[in-house]
Amino acid sequence: MAVSTISSKERILRLFRGEEIDRVPCFSGMGNITTEGLNQLGYRFATVHLDAKKMAESAATTPKFFGFESAVVPFDLTVEAEALGCEINVYAHSEDILYPTIKEKIIHNEEEMEIEISKDLLQKGRIQLVKEAIKLLQEEIGGEYAVGTYVLGPFTLAGQIMELNELLKLSFKKPDKVGRLLDLLADVIVMVAKEYESAGVDYITVREMGATSDVLSPRVFKSLILPYLQKVFRELKGNTVLHICGKTNDIVGFMMESGTKAISVDQKNDISETRKKLGRDALIFGNYDPYNVLVRGDTELVRSTIGRCIEEGVSAVWPGCDIWPTVPPENMKAMMDEITNYGG
Amino acid sequence: MLTEEKKREILDRLKNGVIQYDEDAVREAAQEAVEFGMDANEAIFEGLVSGMEEVGRLFEEQEYFVPELLMCADALYAGLDILKPHVKKMDLGVKGSVVIGTVEGDVHDIGKNIVKMMFDVAGFTVYDLGRDVPLDKFVEEQLRTDSDLVCLSAMMTTTMVGMQKVIEKLKQKNPDVKIMIGGAPVSKELADKWGADGYAPDANNALKEAINMISSLRKMRQEAEANRIEGR
Repeated sequence: MAVSTISSKERILRLFRGEEIDRVPCFSGMGNITTEGLNQLGYRFATVHLDAKKMAESAATTPKFFGFESAVVPFDLTVEAEALGCEINVYAHSEDILYPTIKEKIIHNEEEMEIEISKDLLQKGRIQLVKEAIKLLQEEIGGEYAVGTYVLGPFTLAGQIMELNELLKLSFKKPDKVGRLLDLLADVIVMVAKEYESAGVDYITVREMGATSDVLSPRVFKSLILPYLQKVFRELKGNTVLHICGKTNDIVGFMMESGTKAISVDQKNDISETRKKLGRDALIFGNYDPYNVLVRGDTELVRSTIGRCIEEGVSAVWPGCDIWPTVPPENMKAMMDEITNYGG
Repeated sequence: MLTEEKKREILDRLKNGVIQYDEDAVREAAQEAVEFGMDANEAIFEGLVSGMEEVGRLFEEQEYFVPELLMCADALYAGLDILKPHVKKMDLGVKGSVVIGTVEGDVHDIGKNIVKMMFDVAGFTVYDLGRDVPLDKFVEEQLRTDSDLVCLSAMMTTTMVGMQKVIEKLKQKNPDVKIMIGGAPVSKELADKWGADGYAPDANNALKEAINMISSLRKMRQEAEANRIEGR
């Protein structure tokens, strides 16, 4: 085993630049805080979404404790929707880990689809709070580790602000109308993502899991989803990842055509197939099951799964979704140990 | 007069209307079924449900995806709303009331609604608690309504763990209650471990499970009907 001479951050940045690296990085573009980290800080999960300092501190614990190679903020999927006027619920009463959700959507039916975007969108909700957390993270751990953030994709964001049943049916019945909404939301996403870029974030993941092939046909993905993802990625100049979970083997080609630098898929994707389809230079991140393997599995399963990911040809070992906070510390350690020993 | 031929025609229109998610066509055919004095149960099971069975097949084969499924469900309900008031009580030995909802922290309810649809078809009394339902509410509602079945749904791993608590509490208060869990992160292993009686990991499987259940009801109905005729 060679002693690595580059930092995690440098390794990840080189990966995005397509340069040689000593081993496969192990990081994520989605939430990865742990109960272990929260307990050490003495923070309840429900409180870390509303305070930039707490958010950054919590996010920093995963690299600090386990050597995981990135820290990511925020932790929930409601930031853009909240800025657009949705009321959110952070489950302040709960001692359990419940992620914030949308309490009230702003579009209930077809008639309400013509929305306008406020000029001071970036001052609304928690966008500035997340931006501040990114800056704090860069100051605190940014020398050593990569700092990431995420936004939703246009369709997934539409699903947050609009009744999902209606959105799905209209995607079929009135694709033009849905297209206009997605076009507008693509602008919103670009604005938010650029704001995060200006805070010095190292990479941004666009989470478009609403358009998984478990829900939408590859045909609809191509005609209705892809054009607006392309619009988003055309505008973003930094490092980008497009994440879609669930069934994705039939759409990985389209995912790459979106203009993203890298794609992220979950355990339902056959990575060997995807690698064959996209070629050896494509950046494919994935694809261990963050719950059934990392939380519920033993260290043996964690090690064998990470080994499988590397063998099948991922460019970075990366979870299929947010890392569920109750992950046992020994499993995090086993993962990182497997990577540093056998990731080369 | 309702000839055998006319009956066949109406059933086909109900079935195809569901498959082609044509609410108007289904509504019209259901209306005609009522006017001709057709047995409403037959129209529901041999028409609407038979269509939904085909939809399940198309969904499984990835001809149809979730948007189509939702539209087919709308078409089915368009027919069901018209036919239901004319249903004669079936005695199939199933009492049939169910509490259903999506657990707290989860606002996805499509899978839940598909399962609910099949209970509606089967003539169950459905207590739908909606989405983002506090865990204790399931227990309270089951006790209040004395339902024989509780269905819990969660789309996200992050909310699924709440199910385990509800199952424990329900079984504690009423050991006989049957519990079904569903949602993307759910597995057979978890269902067994938590003591659930059934599970369905995704909309496809939920639909399949629900259709299986309804199909066996349909068979029971046909058998009951055959016995009735024989007994005459």
